Amino acid sequence: MPYLEIHDLTVSYEKNQPTLERFSLNVEQGELLSLLGPSGCGKTTTLRSVAGFIQPDAGRIVINGRDYTHLPPNQRDIGLVFQSYALFPHLTVFNNVAFGLRMRRIPKKEIYSRVANALKMVGLEAFADRRPAQLSGGQQQRVALARATVIEPQVLLLDEPLSNLDAGLRVTMRQEIRRLQQQLGITTLYVTHDQVEAMTISDRVVVMNQGEIEQMGTPENIFSAPETVFVADFMGFDNHFNTEVVSVGDSKLTATWGGAPIQLRWHSKFGSPRPGARAEIFFRADNASLVAGTEATGLAGQVILHTFHGNELQYLVDTEVGEFSIMQDSDSERFEAGAAVTVQPHTQKWIAIIEETAARRQRKE
Amino acid sequence: MIRRPNQTRTIILLVCPALIFVLVFFVLPLIFLLSQSVLPEDGGFTLSGYLEFFQSRVSWIVYLRTLKLGLIVTGICVVMAYPAAFVLARMPPRRRSFLVSLVILPLMTNAVARTFAWLIILGRRGMINQTLLSLELVENPVRFIFTETAIVLGLTQLFLPLMVLPLVSAMENIPDDVLEAARSLGANRLTTFLRIVVPLSSDGLVLGATLVFTGSVTAFVTPAILGGSRLLLMSTLLRQKAVILFDQQAAAVVAVVMILTTLAVNLLLRVGRVQQG
Amino acid sequence: MPMVSRWMYISLVILYSFLLGPFIIIFMASFGANATMAFPPQGFTLDWFANVFETSQFIDSFWISLHLALLSTIVSLVMGMPVAYALTRFQFAASGLVETIFSAPILVPGLVIGFAMLNFFVLLGDMRVMTGLFIGHTAILFPYSVRVISASLRNLDPYVEDAAVSLGANRLRGFLLVVLPNMQAGIAAAFVLGFITSFNNVPVSLFLSGPGVTTLPVSMLSYLEYYFDPTIAALSTLLVIFTVVLVQTAERVLGLSQFV
Repeated sequence: MPYLEIHDLTVSYEKNQPTLERFSLNVEQGELLSLLGPSGCGKTTTLRSVAGFIQPDAGRIVINGRDYTHLPPNQRDIGLVFQSYALFPHLTVFNNVAFGLRMRRIPKKEIYSRVANALKMVGLEAFADRRPAQLSGGQQQRVALARATVIEPQVLLLDEPLSNLDAGLRVTMRQEIRRLQQQLGITTLYVTHDQVEAMTISDRVVVMNQGEIEQMGTPENIFSAPETVFVADFMGFDNHFNTEVVSVGDSKLTATWGGAPIQLRWHSKFGSPRPGARAEIFFRADNASLVAGTEATGLAGQVILHTFHGNELQYLVDTEVGEFSIMQDSDSERFEAGAAVTVQPHTQKWIAIIEETAARRQRKE
Repeated sequence: MIRRPNQTRTIILLVCPALIFVLVFFVLPLIFLLSQSVLPEDGGFTLSGYLEFFQSRVSWIVYLRTLKLGLIVTGICVVMAYPAAFVLARMPPRRRSFLVSLVILPLMTNAVARTFAWLIILGRRGMINQTLLSLELVENPVRFIFTETAIVLGLTQLFLPLMVLPLVSAMENIPDDVLEAARSLGANRLTTFLRIVVPLSSDGLVLGATLVFTGSVTAFVTPAILGGSRLLLMSTLLRQKAVILFDQQAAAVVAVVMILTTLAVNLLLRVGRVQQG
Repeated sequence: MPMVSRWMYISLVILYSFLLGPFIIIFMASFGANATMAFPPQGFTLDWFANVFETSQFIDSFWISLHLALLSTIVSLVMGMPVAYALTRFQFAASGLVETIFSAPILVPGLVIGFAMLNFFVLLGDMRVMTGLFIGHTAILFPYSVRVISASLRNLDPYVEDAAVSLGANRLRGFLLVVLPNMQAGIAAAFVLGFITSFNNVPVSLFLSGPGVTTLPVSMLSYLEYYFDPTIAALSTLLVIFTVVLVQTAERVLGLSQFV
């Protein structure tokens, strides 16, 4: 049974804010679920509705079987970590963390031990008497985590918690958040626009776009098998081109690449495409190889540019289908700009997506 | 921005007490003042107050004198404040904040005390006359008090901080790099100042000029002490009409002209700034 | 320091001698022995300071000014704070209008405000002089209190309130426990600014003062109409010292200049 249930949530805003229409989502107990999407996709709106700061026009929020929809935010028992951390500048670290316990009228002794314990978990025992302004960004983030978890909330909500940290610290902190979340076994909703962050931290990922769920699945599933053009784009498939479907099987369809047939996994939300339909093919830069000359099977092209990336070399190759970015091991054969090459596909990693427009066009024909 | 349920009701509750206070005790009196200027005591509607004002040579002289002195004071403040503000803005923060607080100090002292000093400086037996006499440059004391010069000096001293402060905060935001870039491209100090610093601090200049000009044309204490009834400005004219001549309608007309003048200046400079931006 | 040439330092010397010179002259004059204020002053005496304290007109009006400044500053703060809160924490259609209305008292000449209020109060009928002064001063302080407190609210992350609420505080407690303590500096700065503005005001008080109820600057002005002796210099010296102490303390503690 799901622990956090969002049923048909509808939120409409006056100003250029994202809206949600009949948005539904379930989070299992102890699960960390990420809402991933660009700014304005509705992920923060969803999070703030769960927290109670947005009163939805319709729909229900249920946590552990109890209807939360009309409960004011201060009675919800939800831990919230803000993008800006929103630490109380005038209070010490200890008092920041103790705030929620004091609101709950917990006895002094217990407050002391629980705060001490929470600070220990985030490694800040020595900083209890500091003010937030005297802490680094990463330490402030830890205080925010301790403050949100010390109240032992039903659900933990994190709103872009790492976006104010530099790249190195972000990696450390996301491991810490994950460790803490698993230690406490707390059901968590995590909002981010960073796909790497969502991949590494989550049990499940929900990719959102314009208030709707594009795809939901495990990080691996989302990473390797995007179901829509939007998800493929967002998940960093570097190359794509539009082509005609030659024939369709149960799990694979056939298209052409440099005159030769290729078999690709496909996905369509509109049923099985017919031969002659259009498909958008996606592949990552490291899922193709270059060989010298144009005699080999594959698509012929010409190297326009090459750049050095340490272990890898990146080539920009111009072909009759379009320009592609291809990564090769730096110890493989090198090509100078202007060299004639053949692009050979690693078809098992490629994916064909049939979009609505393509499906409609097909139906008309 | 935070969205909350019952937002409208909350906003009304927060704003209303003060809003009602200002509307009843500030806006309403001004509307009453406006009506006073066009409604004679025996009823009806008349523009005769305004006609009288603009047909009278004396009021024209007073009005133009007020504007003229305001412009002169603003000009002097610009010239005095610009280079000084630049030096202040380039100083290390600690020294700057000390010196800036010295600029604020006069602003925080009442205008009577500050204007009084000029009586000592400019009086018949004041500092300047004593100096002139002892150097035998003049035989009899020169009359400085009740001259336009005295008023200009007093107003400049009064409002100079209002020019310095906005200029300093505008110039603080100009990075050193930009000035060094200009120098490296071949501009000398003066060119850099005129073509980089001045345009980049124009916001501060506009704000300062607005404050100084509107302050000067509406100031009362300085013209009252250093100009008296012999050299009237709009503010002292208003006081005279209201308290000595008991002509409330004429006083109201002067008051309305003063409001319109300051509003026009504010509006003009705001429009100018919007177009620039 | 790049870009600053020597002649620019000269401009600084001119600026400060012009701004502060008059104060030195007042200071010297207040200790001078001769009553006619010739310059340079001859001799040394403290008689003029004694005279300040013997002139009941000054003492009475000092207390009136003090009461008035405290009362109107506090009221304008208490009423202005919710306005500043609404302006900085909510988006609403009329916010521009509200902002304009609360900055208007700074745009209208003080003398005009005083004159308009006097006429209006006469229209309303019997009103105590002190009440009129209080209303006038409170109205002209709104722009300061609303602006300074808005500035200090803008420096505070709006989400700290949501954080307090998510931890179990209701809105009011969140405000009292989290917002208010972080506004202390802004409130104190607004208080000092409002106090000084009211305490020094002449144009509004001029019309609203009445028989026996006069503010200190206005009674200084009327004293000058009849007497021309160093008593005013002595009083000014005392006021300057009072202001220096107040402003320097405020500047040290709060960084007042960022709000002016």
